[in-house]
Amino acid sequence: MVGEMVQHAVRPAEERSSRREVFRGMLGAGAVAGGLAIAATSSAQTARLSDADVLNFALNLEYLTANLFAFATTGSGIPSDAQSGSTAAGAQGQATGGRRVTFVTQETQEYVAEIAADDLARVRFLRRQLGSSAIAQPAIDLGVTPTSAFSRAAQAAGVVPAGAALDVYADETSFLLGAYIFGDLAVTAYKGAARLIGNKELLDAAAGILAVRAYNASTIRSALFAGTLIKPPAAGELNPITVSEQISDARDLLDGRDTLNETLGRGPDADQGLRTSTTADGEIGNLSPLNSRGLAYSRTPERVLNIAYLSPSAVSSGGFFPAGVNGAVRTSGAAN
Amino acid sequence: MIKDAVYAALELSEHRRTQRRAFLKTAATSSLAVGGLSLLAACDDDDDGSVVNPTPTPTPTPTPTPGTAYTDGDLLNYALNLEYLEAQYYSIAALGRALPESSLSGTVGTRGAVTGGRKVAFQDRGIAAIAREIALDEIAHVELLRTAIGSTVIAQPALNIDGGTTGAFTAAARAARIVGPNETFDPYSSEDNFLLGAFIFEDVGVTAYKGAARLLVDLDILERAAGLLAAESYHAALVRTGLYARGRMTPSFRTSTNAISDARDSLDGSSDLDQGTLTQLGGGGTTANIVPSDSDGVAFGRTPEQTHNIAYLRATAGIGGGFFPAGTNNRVESLRVSGANG
Repeated sequence: MVGEMVQHAVRPAEERSSRREVFRGMLGAGAVAGGLAIAATSSAQTARLSDADVLNFALNLEYLTANLFAFATTGSGIPSDAQSGSTAAGAQGQATGGRRVTFVTQETQEYVAEIAADDLARVRFLRRQLGSSAIAQPAIDLGVTPTSAFSRAAQAAGVVPAGAALDVYADETSFLLGAYIFGDLAVTAYKGAARLIGNKELLDAAAGILAVRAYNASTIRSALFAGTLIKPPAAGELNPITVSEQISDARDLLDGRDTLNETLGRGPDADQGLRTSTTADGEIGNLSPLNSRGLAYSRTPERVLNIAYLSPSAVSSGGFFPAGVNGAVRTSGAAN
Repeated sequence: MIKDAVYAALELSEHRRTQRRAFLKTAATSSLAVGGLSLLAACDDDDDGSVVNPTPTPTPTPTPTPGTAYTDGDLLNYALNLEYLEAQYYSIAALGRALPESSLSGTVGTRGAVTGGRKVAFQDRGIAAIAREIALDEIAHVELLRTAIGSTVIAQPALNIDGGTTGAFTAAARAARIVGPNETFDPYSSEDNFLLGAFIFEDVGVTAYKGAARLLVDLDILERAAGLLAAESYHAALVRTGLYARGRMTPSFRTSTNAISDARDSLDGSSDLDQGTLTQLGGGGTTANIVPSDSDGVAFGRTPEQTHNIAYLRATAGIGGGFFPAGTNNRVESLRVSGANG
């Protein structure tokens, strides 16, 4: 159902190619609308959040990617001693469906191993900071059956036909595309959360995590981009550039099209694939998904959940978190 | 003179650095514990160590260090100095043109000239596309910050982005010993050198923004700065993966990043705030280290003083040197000076 909704609303590729130019022409309007957008995106749910709530929300995302990368590199999820937590904020669940990936490019294998280690270190770091209020790991769907979250995300994005499976563990490129689904998402989540954190020490740590997430997302994007230059995809193979645009469009549609605010880095098009553009200066890459002001985008926790749950409406579970995330923020944004 | 200062700093600090790294390796567990404690101590005094924040929407209170009173605008100007440097380097190298005069004026500080820089003859399609992309992003950052700062914006300070005998790139490369003491390092002579040149200051921008986040008061400015932090991190990873990938055929690209990282570390004090792209594995061999981060998987930050140590290529306290021969521009002197680490 979600897939149908998203597929129906996917915009034509041509619209995206002229995006940067369009935004450049709207700078004045974006700046003027700034004050209004802040009020509109600060929902009742996020307005009441404590620092611990914000960190626990982030911990859900860390559990998700730490498990994905742990499966890809070791064949198992993260260690059990990194999963327990306060069940008052939600039951502990299993991360299921992942498996080890056979990497063929030495550098990519090393990059993935590094991200896996950093992700696990960060799970432990956040759990330590949160102490007894740390949430337990929620149930996480990393499977590849036709009804799994990855497959439904791929169906929604038009990467595979309705009812078909996407096996993100099948090969190196497929795994990078699976990781790509969360790479930029985490960046926008931490950027959106920065203003919600009051304690300066925690803000400092969150800023450090934001930076690492952007290095990671950039590494994944770079590996996908470089792969297409070294070996252009043959007919019938997944084209990472095309798929990256499809996934980006799907993320954009799920998260509810935030009000444009160029000077804060918010907008309805908070996501970008890897397609290059060409100007009088030559070919311009799009490895860094930034707006016309050179800013990364923000997503509110609710908009992040729209993508994690693969739902454009207000729900409390679904997609990659079949029993919902744990903690105070559990409901995705409404009426997207 | 700059070069001598850097050499002296390197000689003095080399032993200290070796000791420090050895300590960090053997004491990973205890340093973890210390990190957690300091964070928790600043959070709450609860016995269980949990983060408890009873205030619904906490309003950050500015807590300036005594004697270093500055505003968010002053901090944005601090960042703008670095953006001027990066924008001019990338714009000249990738697009063949400096920033327009209208982007360089200001009411604070002396407007300086750019020394050095020329267009790079790119061979690799991917590197060329990425270089142009970063150039356009950095130009956008200059414009964004100038607009955000408004009437108190600084003028572009004098910038040395030269790769000749007296060039800052040469001084940095000699300090890192990726060239000999009498050799020059020209980052415009090839795309390989361009990437190494970019590496010299890319991660510094990341650490500067990360270190500044906690100093900002206004939440909109914080969100904007977070967007810039993320952007610089995306860029830094592109440069690091570009060099690491090239290092498969030419290992010096990888080892050079570690040498440059060590040189930066030797300038900014006793903390280990920097990492190259190559990590030694315990059982021998090496692996990639694209993300410069601590054992918690968190990126490093630098104080404005530490950032200036790198920008000025000096381990001593003062204003000016390296990439900013006359110092960075700022109304507040504490945001122009380097730390006393030499």
